[in-house]
Amino acid sequence: MSAQPLPSNENDASITTIAPKEEAPTSVRKLPPPEKPSDVRRRSHVILSFWLIVLLLGLPIWWKTTTIYRADLPLEEMLEWADGKACRPVFPLRISIQATSLQDQEAQNLLRLTQHALDDLNDFAGHHLRLQLGDEKQDSADNGSALTIRLTQGEGTTAMLDPYEPILDITYPPNTIPSPTASSSALATYIASQLRTTFAEEQATISYLLSTNSMPSEHRPLGLSPETAESLAKRTTRSLKYAPTYHLTFSLFTSGSLPSSWDIEMAIEEYMKPVLDVLSPIHNFTIDTQVQLYASPGVQNQVLNKEDLSSFINAAEWPLSPSIGGAPTINFIVFVGNQTIASASQDAAPTSQSWLIPQWGTVYLLSLPGDTTHVTAATLKQPLLTFTTHLLSLTGTPESGSLPLRLSTLARIRSADLLLRASSTLGSLARLAMALPSISIPSSVADGVTKTMSHLRLACDNLGGTEGLAHARIAEAEAERAFFEKSMVGQLYFPDEHKIAVYLPLLGPVAVPLVMGLINEIKAWRKRRRERAENGAEKKEQ
Amino acid sequence: MRQLFSFVLLSLVSFSSLLSSASAAAADYHEQLVLRPLPLSALLASFNFRSNISLSEFEAHNFRFFPRSLGQILQHAGTQELHLRFSLGRWDSESWGARPWDGAREGGTGVELWAWLQAATDEEADHKWLTLTNALSGLFCASLNFIDGTRTTRPVMSFQPEGDHLNTTVADTHLLYGVLPHEVVCTENLTPFLKLLPCKGKAGIATLLDGHKLFDASWQSMAIDVKPICPIGGECVLQIELTIDMVLDIDRSKRPRDNPIPRPPPGHELPCDTSKPYHSHDTCFPTDHQANQDWTLSQIFGRTMKGTCPLTDPAVPPVCLQVPNSRSVYHSDGVLEKKNLDRISRCFEIKPDVNFEIVLPAPEDESAVLVKPETPLLYAERSFTGHGQERGGVQTILRNPSPDTEVEFIYMESLPWFMRIYLHTMSARVQGQPSKDESLIKEVYYRPAVDRARGTQLEVRMRVPPASTVFLTYDFEKSILRYTEYPPDANRGFDVAAAVITILSPAGYNLRTTSLLCSLPTPDFSMPYNVIIFTSTAIALAFGGMFNILVRRFVAADEGPEVGLAVLKKRIKERIGGLMEKFKKNKGRKTENGVGEPREKVNNVGVETEVAKV
Repeated sequence: MSAQPLPSNENDASITTIAPKEEAPTSVRKLPPPEKPSDVRRRSHVILSFWLIVLLLGLPIWWKTTTIYRADLPLEEMLEWADGKACRPVFPLRISIQATSLQDQEAQNLLRLTQHALDDLNDFAGHHLRLQLGDEKQDSADNGSALTIRLTQGEGTTAMLDPYEPILDITYPPNTIPSPTASSSALATYIASQLRTTFAEEQATISYLLSTNSMPSEHRPLGLSPETAESLAKRTTRSLKYAPTYHLTFSLFTSGSLPSSWDIEMAIEEYMKPVLDVLSPIHNFTIDTQVQLYASPGVQNQVLNKEDLSSFINAAEWPLSPSIGGAPTINFIVFVGNQTIASASQDAAPTSQSWLIPQWGTVYLLSLPGDTTHVTAATLKQPLLTFTTHLLSLTGTPESGSLPLRLSTLARIRSADLLLRASSTLGSLARLAMALPSISIPSSVADGVTKTMSHLRLACDNLGGTEGLAHARIAEAEAERAFFEKSMVGQLYFPDEHKIAVYLPLLGPVAVPLVMGLINEIKAWRKRRRERAENGAEKKEQ
Repeated sequence: MRQLFSFVLLSLVSFSSLLSSASAAAADYHEQLVLRPLPLSALLASFNFRSNISLSEFEAHNFRFFPRSLGQILQHAGTQELHLRFSLGRWDSESWGARPWDGAREGGTGVELWAWLQAATDEEADHKWLTLTNALSGLFCASLNFIDGTRTTRPVMSFQPEGDHLNTTVADTHLLYGVLPHEVVCTENLTPFLKLLPCKGKAGIATLLDGHKLFDASWQSMAIDVKPICPIGGECVLQIELTIDMVLDIDRSKRPRDNPIPRPPPGHELPCDTSKPYHSHDTCFPTDHQANQDWTLSQIFGRTMKGTCPLTDPAVPPVCLQVPNSRSVYHSDGVLEKKNLDRISRCFEIKPDVNFEIVLPAPEDESAVLVKPETPLLYAERSFTGHGQERGGVQTILRNPSPDTEVEFIYMESLPWFMRIYLHTMSARVQGQPSKDESLIKEVYYRPAVDRARGTQLEVRMRVPPASTVFLTYDFEKSILRYTEYPPDANRGFDVAAAVITILSPAGYNLRTTSLLCSLPTPDFSMPYNVIIFTSTAIALAFGGMFNILVRRFVAADEGPEVGLAVLKKRIKERIGGLMEKFKKNKGRKTENGVGEPREKVNNVGVETEVAKV
């Protein structure tokens, strides 16, 4: 429309153009000259090469740069550990019998019968008592036996635990020695039942630990009565998590301004140190003490009820901050004041002065004359003895048996506990990795998992010994470290809307010409093929 | 000069140790409150609590007066000496005079921490410093854990240990200094502070400490100083000194708490400056200086003092008041007033379990209302110069009021890394002289910043001649931060820590300038999306154009397929018509069941052609 045509002309033109349009609109338009085949081929090559670049270069680069690094975790194995399939906790306990007064033959016979009786009594495969004959010279600690039975002739059948050594003294009347042919013997049954009572608590605790964890049912021991389970549950919730070092804080709190000093150092040295020394193979202890005046308790009642005891600690005001450096803190508080505890039974005299706070520590109420300025070591004797007993129960030491036996039991319970804890942490980590596909897993986590599993394997093989405890300890620490890896805890929030906002402005406008080009090319290619086929058919017909 | 300098230092150290050995010989705990009315109806209250623990007890973890929570942090981080400051507000030295404690117990706005750590290497010291800041952060509910590498410096000249350190340990102690000017000091920092006191806030002068009053003050500074003290011939002790200084506005404190809105006093109650020539019965120039000097302790602090802490050293009177002896002061029963020989202060000895109250009536003698404030050795103020978002300058005005004594001091700045200073522009000149004076700056210690790793440390030893004002100026460049490095309130600006001035001669004195607010160029924070969309559009345009040129075929306008609204309409109509037909046929097929479907006509409009607009 470059030139301005005359109005009449325009009318004419419009008539001439409109008329044929109504019949066949495309017939007026000229067809473009036929394309050279080389141009068509070049166009196909261009489109093909663009698509090849996008698919072979673009996509891999995009994939490589946007994937989240996830180290390979042995998920199957980890879940196996968590389910208890990887390790069957077995505590083979060797018990040596010292029977100097018996002849070898007789002793062997007695041993065989006792073992038989034991196997009959035992219903829990994980905890196994194996008897062996020990000789006099060998010390019980050297041959790795957990307990030594010393058989001596005496008036009647008695049994007594040695309070300082892991030795069970059993006396027997001479006529109870079983004959070589006897299939059962009263003495053997007696020894077996004695052993069973000695290890009953340990057995119960370990089976309780196993039952609370996700152990397969075939390893799960039966026959835990609800009462036992309940008391064990209470005891396990009371005790602190295992740590190689505990930090003990002794605090003197007074409601007024007096007393302001105490002989705590001397009192600890005298009343508590012996027990700490005994516990030293399993735990280390660091100690600090403090005096705090004008400390008002959280409850002001004169007589404290059971409900008041839990809110007695004034956490907001009392400076009881836990120690720094990783060791858990156990608090022992002597509170000087005139408050008393209401006893459960009405008629009993109010004698109780202390209570234990699970996994935290102990409070001891000490009433002193109003003008006492200095608390002597003698006054602190009763509080410290209470603290010592509570310390044992806070560390999870069993309640029955002699002290050496209780401690060796503690080591075994602790290693089982750590083993199970580390396994369940591994399981949680595996489940976490599976549940969150967009969480990144750094290689340090994979390292931690590998280390945990190797130590768990070693711990499982040496269960019951000190080595097992050490390995279980390392495994637990490594598992915790892997689980609480810093970069995994804070998962980056990267919502899908965000991705769309980033990708769409770039990919949308680029993808449209690419896709349209491809579609058109395919259409044209199909058309060409059909035309060629038609041409071929026509040629054939001709 | 260097010899002289070290001599001064030595004498300073020995002087302080002499002082401290005298105090160490006293009891294990003492506390004192000094009240000093200041001009402009202000009142300075200085609380001081000091307790000792012998080093052997400290190492055995037996804490009595020394707080256990702080003690175990110090042990864990291998800290030899610790100084922690929480400050708020500005000390108005023009009207209030010299600072309390010669400026040794105050910090710049925000939180300041410096400590001498025992460590074999620098890396170990850094590690321990990290432990220390993190632990203190938890103890004092402050963001001390944000003192990272960029906010930590190792001052060379400015700080000297206050305690007595054994010569064997001096070699491997490291001084680290960190500052958080942005930190807002508030009640949550006071509560843990009070917990460190043996008598808590339950007895003695600490009962007067109330968060509402303390943080309402015109200026306040909380200080914690831990240092070892070895008296000659005695056992070494570790001393912790807790100090709170605050300047209260008497007017504001006297307002009732339930009705705190200020109201102007009626005209006849205004104290007028009668010396003004225009003073008459209907014009009045209010005198601020003498106004409102009548107050009681309970008006100022909101409560009376509850007895004394029974642990305190009875030889030290718990409360002292610095007003001229001629002024009469009333006090409650069971209190013994002792006027000191210097005629400007008096102390009160208080029986335990007595509620202590003092009443200052309106002064009868107008000439002796206040103790005249001492003139400080140096006035310092610092401000930004320049304009724009790219460059700026810092100017510090240092004025020596003394007519005859020259002041020599160390001026220390620890600047954030995003203030890149041009050291060559640093100059000092005396007011009135146009050119810079080379002799003013004696020594410069400069440690340049490393981006995102450490801040600038600048220490300048300089002097100010008597009765003159010196301008210290330097320029800096503002750097642009990364997107994620901006705080949420980026447009507020970035706090720059106070400069620390340590006067070496004529006497030991410290002062700090106010902190500064540096505004950096802040981007529009929707920037990343804008950038994404902008670059994407550019790339898409370029790519689309190029791709189309390569792929499409160009033909004349009348050779291509027709385009336009009419064509589109027709096409849509055809499509719909086709669909309808198909639908009808489908229906018919269902009824007739078995009639062959005619082949759809293929729409053969050329698709690979483009209309070229000529």
